[in-house]
Amino acid sequence: MQSLNVNLLRFFFLFLTAGALLWTGCEKDDDEGPDNEEELITTVRLTFTDGAGNSSVFNFSDTDGIGGNPPVAEDIILAPNTAYVLSMEFLDESNPNDVADITEEIKAEATEHLVCFDFAPPISAITRIDQDGDGKPLGLESDCTTGDAGSGALTVSLKHQPDKANANPCSTGETDVEATFEVIVQ
Amino acid sequence: MLKRLLLLGQWLLAIWFSPSLLAQNHCDITLKGKVVDAHTREPVAFASIAIQNKNIGTLADENGNYVLKNLCPGNLILVCTHVGCHHAEHEILLVENMSWDFELEEESVLLEEVVVQGKAPVLEATQSSTTLEAAQLQSGRGKSLGDALSQLPGVTTLNTGATIAKPVIQGLHSNRVLILNNGVRQEGQQWGSEHAPEIDPFLADKITVIKGASSVRYGADAIAGVVLVEPRPLREQTGISGEANLQGFSNGRTGIASGMLEGKLKGRLPISGRLQGTLKRGGNLQAPGYYLDNTGVEELNFSWAVGLQQEKWATEAFYSRFFTRLGIFSGSHIGNLTDLRNAIERERPLAEGSFTYELGRPLQRIYHELFKWKASLETGQAGTLQLQLSRQFNRRQEYDAHRQYGSLPDNLDIPQIEFEITTHAAELSWEHRPIHHLWGSIGAIFQQQANTTDRGALIPNYNNYSAGAYWIERWKKYPFPLELESGLRYDYQKMDIGRQGQDSIGQQLEFNNLSGTIGAIYRFPKLLDLRFNFGTAWRAPNVSELFSNGVHHGAASYEAGDPNLGPERAFNTSLSAGLNHGNRLQATVTLYYNIIDNFIFLEPQSEPVLTIRGAFPAFHYTQADARLMGLDWQLDYELIPGLQLESKGSLLDAWNREREEYLSLMPPFRFEQGLKYSFLHGKVESEAPFLRLSMTNVLEQTRIPPEADYAPPPPGYTLFQLEGRTQFRLGRQPLEVGFTVFNLLNTSYREYLNRFRYFTDEPGRNVSLRLRLPFGLKIGRGEGVLE
Repeated sequence: MQSLNVNLLRFFFLFLTAGALLWTGCEKDDDEGPDNEEELITTVRLTFTDGAGNSSVFNFSDTDGIGGNPPVAEDIILAPNTAYVLSMEFLDESNPNDVADITEEIKAEATEHLVCFDFAPPISAITRIDQDGDGKPLGLESDCTTGDAGSGALTVSLKHQPDKANANPCSTGETDVEATFEVIVQ
Repeated sequence: MLKRLLLLGQWLLAIWFSPSLLAQNHCDITLKGKVVDAHTREPVAFASIAIQNKNIGTLADENGNYVLKNLCPGNLILVCTHVGCHHAEHEILLVENMSWDFELEEESVLLEEVVVQGKAPVLEATQSSTTLEAAQLQSGRGKSLGDALSQLPGVTTLNTGATIAKPVIQGLHSNRVLILNNGVRQEGQQWGSEHAPEIDPFLADKITVIKGASSVRYGADAIAGVVLVEPRPLREQTGISGEANLQGFSNGRTGIASGMLEGKLKGRLPISGRLQGTLKRGGNLQAPGYYLDNTGVEELNFSWAVGLQQEKWATEAFYSRFFTRLGIFSGSHIGNLTDLRNAIERERPLAEGSFTYELGRPLQRIYHELFKWKASLETGQAGTLQLQLSRQFNRRQEYDAHRQYGSLPDNLDIPQIEFEITTHAAELSWEHRPIHHLWGSIGAIFQQQANTTDRGALIPNYNNYSAGAYWIERWKKYPFPLELESGLRYDYQKMDIGRQGQDSIGQQLEFNNLSGTIGAIYRFPKLLDLRFNFGTAWRAPNVSELFSNGVHHGAASYEAGDPNLGPERAFNTSLSAGLNHGNRLQATVTLYYNIIDNFIFLEPQSEPVLTIRGAFPAFHYTQADARLMGLDWQLDYELIPGLQLESKGSLLDAWNREREEYLSLMPPFRFEQGLKYSFLHGKVESEAPFLRLSMTNVLEQTRIPPEADYAPPPPGYTLFQLEGRTQFRLGRQPLEVGFTVFNLLNTSYREYLNRFRYFTDEPGRNVSLRLRLPFGLKIGRGEGVLE
């Protein structure tokens, strides 16, 4: 009888000790303060270079991020029936004093990214010429050919973690950027 | 009729203005009941029932029935003794005729002792309320709290994939449903539709859902209802006992182990204690035809409680910790509306997936901790005074699938969103002894809460201060068939809005308002209970409705709050009929009509918001008068002894009275029919082994507003479920074994109230096997109670 009671007391001793130990793990608000330093893509920059080495630069930018002011897209003006090399840049210009070039990170993680183009006349063709580490297309550098004079639209999107083996890889993955430009060929 | 109304009015006046509050003692109370063995359910014949320190007692008859007549009201200690020195005692508060059934439970497998457990008299809610007792809870065991509750008529779930489920009561959820975890108002991140309640369902011994406005007793916000999650009471008899639960699910290869150990010391310091914990791990779930990538879950919960009960006072401390890491189906992560449209067109996820326990991104890590201290004091003949202090801490971390750009790879473990809430609350209540058949309580509550957003500027930081006071009275005179209840509450709330991400808001918002309730129960003995309740409740807009501003990922929508929103006001009328015909028919039908003025909802805007990620459809939080009405029922009918027909159903019609259109995301019509066969063999139905086959029909939701959704509601579906349970002894060890097969036919279906219905089917067949092992350790025989 006595020994059982002693066991019971032991049980409670353990019980309370365990409880007390666990209680010391009490969590508190760690007050790290707001952390909104996450980098955004605020600007898509398209550089068209013709065979003679002449470059034209067009931006799509939303420097105040989502909401606030709507993004601004410059009209892309190109010459008819011309072959260009189109190179893409993605920038974080939310802080004008500290512009970050995110293109480098995309290159570093090339297998996880894909630039997609949705075009219509007067652009007649866009072909990706660069590749990721697996020999799959990437799209930061492309050949772009214009047709006859006219106007139309070009949508550039940056896909994150697309399924590049898919027949239609641009319908997969998560869209990080989707920028639509007005294209004028004259 | 008019006369009755006048009488009712007089009663109500009497309730509020009764000048003479003198107790009357009529020694004419009858106490009766039955004594049965908890395990065999056999009646225990000739047990002796006596009242301690009074010269009153009786013997139960050969069927275990006993009657004690001409008792005086008051606190008394019932002592039950049985041949072979089995004895125990229990304190009850006797105020009117009552029935008290004793369950003699053999706690010990080694030595012989029998303890008595009784059920305390409870004032039933005048709203429609349903309780899941331990036995019913068993069949939903292992599922989340939300899923366990959806067995109840009128309760459904709002899901985000297969891993997150929130309870929806009569069409309303989130901040409109209050959850009381062991008497403490759960303060987590309930505002978000993908934020499930942070509660271990294994902690619950009993879950009660009160449907309809229940603010007076439980606090503002309870527009839709209240979920009361109650752990088992601490042991009242000396000794040690416990329970082990083991459970496995085929889908997700989920395993759960849960254990509980409790005890009470004997001697001068009769401390009771309990230690409880749950461990759960599951991997990727499977829909018919494919795996759902990244739908695993990990959970680690524990709690402890220590209490001391004395004659005049009692005190209890309770601590619980909930921790979970759960994956969000990776096929659901989308960057913009084009991605969402692609996903809807695909009709099934891109990746076949495979099985793994590994959790990837997107991921949620949720931590919730509750500490509570409660003390109660008998204030002489006047009543009971109770004080409760609590602290809660909640941390929610969300990891997007989308990694941050920036300094890779060091920041891979940093969540994109981190919210923290620290809540302190104090509640003082006084429950008075019945005066002129009036039962009542008065209380006040204070709460202080700090909300911080450490990452992701979805909502601002804010401090929330609230205070409330209530008074409820109930008139009840046994055996008079009518019971009346009336209550009033005042609440004040102040929000100090702090810094949000880049902008400082520095704004203060104040809200205050009244809640009230009038209810009645009319009983036709042994046939019908009629319940009527009219309640009014209000809810201040929450911070996400006021200030959210940004893209809701996963929903591909741009959501904007409105800082000028005012509170919602609900007027809820419910009429409920409970039919009880012999032991053969039990049915409850509830009709409700809920007017909500200034109902806050997301209204689609005609112009999308343009961003560098593409165009997002815009939704603004706005207010309009709404009306929700519906019908819930539950029916059990015994066809032949042992064979029971069960039927449940919930119908809801939710209407925006201002826009003259339906409200979106409301549960569709739902029906459930079942057949249950119990292998009685002399056992009570609730304890006998059984097999149950049930069929759930959910109709397609046709009550939807025009053009508010990306895809039409999914078609209706029919699911089958098979369940069984038995109890037996292995040697002297009692064991309970149960199984449930969810989605028996492996049906492919989608659920309208699942936000991931755009991306994937619901999980397929799931076979669950569970084992419950109660055990008892025993100390020497206690000192004699009858002197």
